[in-house]
Amino acid sequence: MSIATKSAGSNYPNTATPARTYSREIDLLLVIYLTAIVFSILYPVSFFSRDNLRVILNNLAVDGILAIGMMTLMIAGVFDLSVGSMLSMVGVVTGWLLVKQNWPVAPAVAAGLVVAALGGLVNGLLVARAQVNALIATLGSLGIFQGIAILIAGPSVSNLPNGFTQLGQTEILGLQLPVWFMLGLAAATHYLLRHTRYFRRFYYVGSNAKAARLSGINVEHMQILGFTLNGLIAGTAGLAFAARVGTAVSTAGVGTELRVITAVILGGASLSGGKGSIPGALIGVVFMALINNVLIIARVSSYWQGIVVGAILVLAVGLDSYQNKARKT
Amino acid sequence: MSELTATDEPLLTLRGIHKRFPGVHALRGVDLDVRCGEVHAVVGENGAGKSTLMQILAGVFPPDAGRIDFDGRQDVVLPDERAAQALGIALVYQERSLFDPMSVAENVFAARQPVTSWGRIDRAVLAARTKALLDEVGLAVAVDVPLERLSPAQQQLVEVAKALSLEPKLILFDEPTGALTPAETERLFRLIRRLRERKIGVIYISHRLEEVFAIADRVTVLKDGAGQGTFDIRDLTPAALAARMVGREVNPHAPRSDPAPSGSRRMLEVCNLNDPANRSGLRPRLQDISFHVRAGEIVGLAGLVGAGRTELAMALFGAREGVTGEIRVQGRRVILGSPAAAIAVGIGYLPEERKDDGLFLEMSIEDNIASVASAQFGSWWYSGRRQRAAAEQLCRTLKIVCRGESEPVKNLSGGNQQKVVLARWLLAHPKVLIVDEPTRGIDIGAKVEIHNLLYDLARTGTAILVISSDLPEILAVSDRVLIMREGRITGELTHAEATEAAVMKYASLG
Repeated sequence: MSIATKSAGSNYPNTATPARTYSREIDLLLVIYLTAIVFSILYPVSFFSRDNLRVILNNLAVDGILAIGMMTLMIAGVFDLSVGSMLSMVGVVTGWLLVKQNWPVAPAVAAGLVVAALGGLVNGLLVARAQVNALIATLGSLGIFQGIAILIAGPSVSNLPNGFTQLGQTEILGLQLPVWFMLGLAAATHYLLRHTRYFRRFYYVGSNAKAARLSGINVEHMQILGFTLNGLIAGTAGLAFAARVGTAVSTAGVGTELRVITAVILGGASLSGGKGSIPGALIGVVFMALINNVLIIARVSSYWQGIVVGAILVLAVGLDSYQNKARKT
Repeated sequence: MSELTATDEPLLTLRGIHKRFPGVHALRGVDLDVRCGEVHAVVGENGAGKSTLMQILAGVFPPDAGRIDFDGRQDVVLPDERAAQALGIALVYQERSLFDPMSVAENVFAARQPVTSWGRIDRAVLAARTKALLDEVGLAVAVDVPLERLSPAQQQLVEVAKALSLEPKLILFDEPTGALTPAETERLFRLIRRLRERKIGVIYISHRLEEVFAIADRVTVLKDGAGQGTFDIRDLTPAALAARMVGREVNPHAPRSDPAPSGSRRMLEVCNLNDPANRSGLRPRLQDISFHVRAGEIVGLAGLVGAGRTELAMALFGAREGVTGEIRVQGRRVILGSPAAAIAVGIGYLPEERKDDGLFLEMSIEDNIASVASAQFGSWWYSGRRQRAAAEQLCRTLKIVCRGESEPVKNLSGGNQQKVVLARWLLAHPKVLIVDEPTRGIDIGAKVEIHNLLYDLARTGTAILVISSDLPEILAVSDRVLIMREGRITGELTHAEATEAAVMKYASLG
């Protein structure tokens, strides 16, 4: 029973003020800015160096790519827990084709991406067609993709060929290719989500699926599309990761979903859908990377990192519902 | 039956429409004629098939048999909502079909935003076209404000603007005034009359017969899925129309036969109740509220939407934080920190939003009925048998139409669902029962039954506070009427003094 949150008609604005569309993003940018200042003072040499900033950016590219797909899904009101094991599986499939089957780079990459899109499609069909709850469907595929990765490659496939690792290690203006790919993908997705009628449907589907159907939107279709794109994007992240490291590790993505979903929620997404933006997702990822970097510089044990990330997730969601409650009463 | 004359161009003709759902023959050969530039009311009790008929016209599902001619096209097929919209049929939904976090403009043009030749959404055109539509429906809000910041009435007008944006030839209004104040309803009627002048056909569905008589040119009556004829509104009286809908003579506003004894004990006393301004700096919702309700008395709480009636009910039910003042039940001062505390001292609340706040839709009738007073079926050894027996008994006395007490509540009609919520409180034997919009969206037959249940309950000594936006209902059931405006009680009238004019004077002028 949610009677306590109902509110009165007369207290609504008559000539309402314009919306603050980017409020969450701006708030988070401020927090990032303050955090950066504090840590430049605490660790002037190690934190605020050009090299450290470059490392932060190069390291966050994979999470950033994943966050773009996850944000799109969460705008549509669903989410995908299998991105981490999708990342591992696609890296391993491509690595295995390259090393064990001696495929050339282009077809091996293409095959990896096909696997990724198919995996995403299966998630989409499960959620949209078979009406399996997204939590259950993608928790299941998390296990399945992880198992496939280990079956194919054992612990890892190493000695990936140069032609492939270049994709992850080539630097332009000091930044590795995945960073540039992340930025390009973000710009394109942002444009699509914000300025095209077709992709804007994700917002409608997420904010009220029933009303979306009544407005002539094919909800199933959009959800399947969202999952497929997210799978594909997670696949590219897997390739980027393997190429950067030079080894396709079967458990490369363990725990990734926690980091990425936390970043995306920090960046303005809501579990109930219809909210969020790509800039928000990237800002969330930057924040998480910053925290991670600070923990490393401060020589905090890596076991603490999971605790910190988990705490941030709970705090972010808690803050969000607290703000919603404050706004409504 | 009125005949089509040569000047009345037929816009929509339905012939022999049938629709079956599993276990229900929802429409049994319905005919309907709507002309260009007429307001055609469709009335009937819940389950009469009005909504099914509208959904067929809106393309939600196709009819099993029958023929639809529209706008000069013979035998049109409406496979989905898009097809109906493309033909020029728009539906203003009863249940909100809007998107809370999105802007007003993107709600009006949901998935149909104007685009530039590059395929990019043209926000300037979107804003301008939305502004024009908002002006037309008389809504003064910024087009880029998120929908969730608007009041229910404003959202309803956005829904109307959304339908108008399709530039329809036929527009269907399904219970459009549920969230509107009388002034807003009048504004909506002016809009509907303008649509009529523009030769747009309007189908208007409402339970409120006063509205049908105020706006409609003709009316078609449905009963049990079959047409009972189409009538010129001038040839009917409200009583005659009600009789055709129900199939027998009814008076939806029959007052109590035995008004409350005047000297009985004060069951509920409220003294200087205040709800201070909250963090966001809004003005207080409740100011200096003082009143009492005697045992066996039914007190009506009238006022416009937003006057603070529901807030007062919440405060009395312990569901509002930070309220100050004194509340006494049977003379004893009580502190109401939570609904549980309110229930413990004998206060019951039947909420306005039946489905959201009142029912456990997936659960059975008996579980719903037992949800408040479950303690009487045992604390350590819960007796399902006794729960079932009690539920059976209540289903019989309340005439709840169902296949059995284990049927999920979501399968019931609105009137029967409301009876389930009432049954829950009957089982709990409250000393004070607050009912918020007890008959909203409920047909005349069930409405009369619910009123009778309230009278029965009052007769057993329960003090009843009735909140309703249906003014004739308040006037009929109340021994006394309190009127609220902007968080204050601005007037009190006895049953004899209470007329619509008198109540509205206090409600709108204070």
